[in-house]
Amino acid sequence: MTTFILRRIVLTIPVLFGILALTFLLTRLIPGRPCTAIYGERATEALCSAFDARYGLNDPLGQQFLNYVGRVMTGDLGDSIRLSRPVVDLLAERLPVTVELAFAALFFAVIIGVPAGIISAYKRNTPADYFTMIIANIGVSMPVFWLGLMLAYMFAVVLRDTPFALPPSGRLDAGTQIVPFFVQWGLVTDATTASPILVFISRLYTVNAILTANTALFTNSVRHLILPAIAVGTISMSIIARMTRSSVLETLNQDYVRTARAKGLRELTVVMRHAFRNSLLPIITIISLNFGLLISGAVLTETIFGLTGVGRTLFDGISSRDYPLVQGFTFFIAFAFVLINLLVDILYGYLDPRIRLS
Amino acid sequence: MTTDITIPKLQAADIPTATRRPQSMLVETLYNLKRNRSAMIGLAIISFMFALAIFAPVIAPYNPLQPMLDRDDHRGLGRLPGRAPCIHLLGCTLEEPEHFMGLDLNGRDMFSRVLWGARYSLVVGIFSVAIGITSGALVGMVAGYAGGWTDDILMRLMDILLAFPALILAIAIVSFAGPSLENALLAIAIVSIPVYARLARANVLSIKEMEFVTASRAVGASHKRILFIQIMPNALTSLIVQGTLDVGSVVLTAAALSFIGLGAQPPTPEWGAILSEGRNYVFTSPHLVFFPGIMIMITVLGFNLLGDGLRDAMDPRLNRN
Repeated sequence: MTTFILRRIVLTIPVLFGILALTFLLTRLIPGRPCTAIYGERATEALCSAFDARYGLNDPLGQQFLNYVGRVMTGDLGDSIRLSRPVVDLLAERLPVTVELAFAALFFAVIIGVPAGIISAYKRNTPADYFTMIIANIGVSMPVFWLGLMLAYMFAVVLRDTPFALPPSGRLDAGTQIVPFFVQWGLVTDATTASPILVFISRLYTVNAILTANTALFTNSVRHLILPAIAVGTISMSIIARMTRSSVLETLNQDYVRTARAKGLRELTVVMRHAFRNSLLPIITIISLNFGLLISGAVLTETIFGLTGVGRTLFDGISSRDYPLVQGFTFFIAFAFVLINLLVDILYGYLDPRIRLS
Repeated sequence: MTTDITIPKLQAADIPTATRRPQSMLVETLYNLKRNRSAMIGLAIISFMFALAIFAPVIAPYNPLQPMLDRDDHRGLGRLPGRAPCIHLLGCTLEEPEHFMGLDLNGRDMFSRVLWGARYSLVVGIFSVAIGITSGALVGMVAGYAGGWTDDILMRLMDILLAFPALILAIAIVSFAGPSLENALLAIAIVSIPVYARLARANVLSIKEMEFVTASRAVGASHKRILFIQIMPNALTSLIVQGTLDVGSVVLTAAALSFIGLGAQPPTPEWGAILSEGRNYVFTSPHLVFFPGIMIMITVLGFNLLGDGLRDAMDPRLNRN
């Protein structure tokens, strides 16, 4: 198992290096000078050359790349040009929104998708099955951003004065005051000096609400997550439902399921303990493979729901030619994507010895 | 003592016959496909969308780019931009000109714009998949056939491309190349190359060990001939099935790029771009967003149903005998 893990990690290194090179090149090839994009009409030649010198944009490309790699190795992703702040700080500040959104979406997808798939497989070729599969087929075909807009209209306008009304934008109600958990616990006296890790955790508002035992903040932040999470999670939910259905269908036909029935086990036990448990492997794979979909979905929905997360920051960065920001964020997303795939590979090797030994 | 040994004559009826004549793979696939109801629904949807795209100039009641503001029959109706749908059958007064999907923010007929939009989505969907398959097949076949360091370098490059979530990489490429529908099409094609390359490489690896390839090498065929005449036709089938499955998601990605302003530019009536124009007015004029989105959904659904059906039809495990 150790050799297997080590081999997988070693194989990942050239890919990570390639990602660095690609993000570097892509951002350097964006047409237009960052200086003119930032200062607009005020960008004089003198101002721009000073600007280029300050950010090292005059160095040869190779030198710039080496500098970049060196800095990344030490955990420095540079400073955002437009916001004049370290990219790492921006990540720590804005990633939590995206992470919460992605997890909420995944939660929604699994909690609906898996049971729907099991029921669909068990009630094969009945109206319940047809209904679930029609919904699943429609779900994978919907544009995420359209679903987001329609949900916002539905829950903020049509259902406005009903108990089902939900806020269509923002991460929290306007004017909500947040006390970071590390301040309430007395770990740090001045919130501005807290380490990025602590800031990151405190900005997962649902987590912060739990850590500070603040129920009002918890409901507030969950209510704001519901609509974007449904929008982002619907495609994943449909894929998971379809995968669960076909996987459970396969195991339901196995001899051990017949044996379980023959020895008089309750039907629920047969389905859950014998059929579902043995069909978990492909389901877990498909769930973990949905990470890319969740990130893309977050990029598209954050702007709709007024959430300042990674997607929205990245998008603003592209339109203002903020090289270090775009570079850092794209690199980070790809890096996380690679890490998650690595974890899935290792998990898979752990669950299925045939993979680890081949 | 002699015993007569009689050998029974073999009758034609004794020979076991196949229940059905063996068919070519294409006939078998088409036969399976025709029996698959959802695949047929998908095919009907796609044909319908193609009909809309082709006959858009005939069906569309107005020019998709012309505002109604300066038309005589729209005078005295009050505010035109963002006007809600007017359908006579559903109670809209007969004095008012009919607009099935209302007017957009520039007072243009939404129905005409949405009809023309079918052209862009279908073209982008089919062309970027075609470009992706062609380039991916080329990379994968060369890597699989050449082996060694060529294979290593090409496939590691593909791994790097695969390390990005598809939409993020497409966004990065379009922002480098400049926002336009053509660049979005190319970006989506580039992003899909690694998937096809891996598939093509796997196919080539198994095909190149087959006897007919060894035979043509023995008679002195060139590498080019072996790769393109002998191996390629056999390696392409699964790529085409994968491609059909992908058209739906490509249409979605293209609409997404237009939605965030990196694809088709206004006033082009592309569905994602129409949606993007109306997004800030969804609370007051939901029709600006609803109709283009529904069209995207129906088109993608059609391609997904057909793709799933095609995959099932070609799956030998699901064949009936």
